[in-house]
Amino acid sequence: MDRVLTDFVKTLRNANIQVSPAETLDAMEVIEKIGYDNRELLKNTLSFTLPKTLEEKEKFDSCFEDFFNVQPLQKKGLFQTREPSQLSGQVNSDLAHQLLEDNQADIQLSISKAAEKAEIREIKYFTQRAVFSRRILDIMGVGSLEEELSHLGQLNENELPSDLEQQLRNQLTQLRERVSDYVQQQFLLYGDVSGERLREQVFKTMNMGQIDRSYLHEVHSLVRKMAKKLSNLHSRRKKNFRRGKLDIRKTIRDNWVNESILFNLRWSYKKIDKPKILVICDVSGSVGAYARFMLMFIFSLTEVVSKIRAFVFSSYLGEVTDEFKSSQLEEAIESALSKYGGGSTDYAHSFSDFLSLCLDDLDKKTTVIILGDARNNFGPDKAFLLKSVYERSKQVYWLNPEGKFRWNTGDSIMNTYSAYCTKVFECGTLEQLERVIYKLLKTAA
Amino acid sequence: MTKGPAKKIEDITKGFAKHNYICSEQISSAVYLASELEKPILVEGPPGVGKTELANTAALYFKKDLLRLQCYEGLDETKALYEWRYGKQLLYTQILKEQMQEVLKGAKGLKDSLDRLMEFEDIFFSESFLEARPLLKALTSNKGSVLLIDEVDKSDEEFEALLLEILSEFQVSIPELGVKKAKIKPLVFLTSNNSREISDALKRRCLHLYIPFPDAKLERKIIRARVPEISKNLQVQLVNFVQGLRSLDLKKLPAISETIDWAKTLILLNAKELSEDLAKETLNVLLKHQQDIEVVQKEVPRLVMAADG
Repeated sequence: MDRVLTDFVKTLRNANIQVSPAETLDAMEVIEKIGYDNRELLKNTLSFTLPKTLEEKEKFDSCFEDFFNVQPLQKKGLFQTREPSQLSGQVNSDLAHQLLEDNQADIQLSISKAAEKAEIREIKYFTQRAVFSRRILDIMGVGSLEEELSHLGQLNENELPSDLEQQLRNQLTQLRERVSDYVQQQFLLYGDVSGERLREQVFKTMNMGQIDRSYLHEVHSLVRKMAKKLSNLHSRRKKNFRRGKLDIRKTIRDNWVNESILFNLRWSYKKIDKPKILVICDVSGSVGAYARFMLMFIFSLTEVVSKIRAFVFSSYLGEVTDEFKSSQLEEAIESALSKYGGGSTDYAHSFSDFLSLCLDDLDKKTTVIILGDARNNFGPDKAFLLKSVYERSKQVYWLNPEGKFRWNTGDSIMNTYSAYCTKVFECGTLEQLERVIYKLLKTAA
Repeated sequence: MTKGPAKKIEDITKGFAKHNYICSEQISSAVYLASELEKPILVEGPPGVGKTELANTAALYFKKDLLRLQCYEGLDETKALYEWRYGKQLLYTQILKEQMQEVLKGAKGLKDSLDRLMEFEDIFFSESFLEARPLLKALTSNKGSVLLIDEVDKSDEEFEALLLEILSEFQVSIPELGVKKAKIKPLVFLTSNNSREISDALKRRCLHLYIPFPDAKLERKIIRARVPEISKNLQVQLVNFVQGLRSLDLKKLPAISETIDWAKTLILLNAKELSEDLAKETLNVLLKHQQDIEVVQKEVPRLVMAADG
């Protein structure tokens, strides 16, 4: 009984529904109350205990349908005309007997039994299906059946295959199909169907420039997940700060009613400001791909950031904040890249554009993030522009997508600019990006 | 003979219907499970689908008192759980001042007087100076109660943490008095509009019920129960119209409560059937945003047509 439930929970977890052991226990309690008889009731009640958000509920519905519908496939054998008992006397192996008797329910049962022995629950990857099919067939005794078949074939070498052989071969083909169907079904239940976890891991540690565009959508949802984690962390941390100093004035005023005896102490809460972030992204050919993820990440953080302004540049700089706020993120990124990207990078010009656009907005709460490889095509650096940004803002982070060993080689002038940055990070993968932003949220407010 | 769960759930559905709350089988199974397993229910769903009303009706059905705690930002344990009656404590100390002197008469030295005072220490921190707030009231109620913690998403995360002990163990610890355990475990409903994600720890301790917008059939039933004087024809048109509205892209979709209000409005206006003009004039009952009204104005003819079909 419990095995059914734990298997079901495993299926749910596979479908990315978080189910804790305690919830499994709850579900068990529920099943004790209502039993497995009433399917609709079971579905309803389990849906109270296992999935806990609306999206999870939707997934739960389809998982439930899949899981509790694993019924034997009602395929009938093609050769039903023959009287089975006659022929089954002429064969030796158990499997052959079973096949000739053609009892669907029995065959299904022995498939599931064999599957259990083959530990089908351990199936993880798409590619393992063939292995498991083979294993199940072996356990069912296909080996001896095949031997027998070849033996039968040898008996009447020159003639047409006998009825018995013909029928057995047909049945065997059907059996193979059935087993592979069964394995497919089990794979959907137990395997890492979408390979999601594996892929997420890869995306996180892969160089962002190398991620293929066709995966953008998936990466976006991953970025959103990471950003959400950060904002949860951060908002929680903010609350912890909430014990301030004793507020004497408020305390006295509130305690007039108690004859000025100070029963109710009032605290002046220290309000933690949300950081204000200005992002400047190089979107020229070499760094464009990184800018995409950077912007994705930053704009997924709106909950914990009070104000975001985004600027992109290659040879000149422009603001793209409104596009990002109004339209879909992916569209906004595309349009920003096509509008400003492509030119040759001119940091000096872009910094002066930046200063003329938002000098007023730089104050002691502002964090400026610059994403770029500091490759200035041997133009003038005009580092004093960056210096004035640095002096007016709380902190300036420079994220360089290139590996550290490549900084200051060729036309890269990282050293010149890094003098006017609070911190410089190498930031080529999503994981690194996540770490940087975590640091930023910790120190920015 | 004990009844099977399916039968009991049906009973709940019927019982709720008597109190004019028409619910789907899902809702009644949730209520059944909550009362059987003694677990709180976290009810989520868009505003106006009857989350709060569910608790009200449950209180009527189980014939228990309803204690309601409205959550808001800054709600803390002194408002939700208990508070000492400082005023009363002060007043009593004033009144008892003279008695005090008598008690202390003849005491020699500080230590002696303190020892004597010690004997009375607990008087001022006893039940009679304790102001119970909804959560504590729900636990100490003698005949059991239905506790509604409304819009729990509006409260702070600290408050959620406070709820954890109460909801899983049905007990609270008051430092001066010790642990208070519930005599009869209350039936607890928590509602949330999802303005903030509820913490996993809290979710884990609750049954999770999501109430969606009702389908046409259920909505007609609800209208019939809530606005019995409505004609059958109008009721069908009205529900179809609202169902049509929900398929549009609006800022705030009309919920059941709006449908009910609208039905009542139409009854007041003595309407026999839904016409374009009537719909346009009364749209503001259904829709709460000017933008939405403007969007829908254009769609009204089509929607009315569809509602007739």
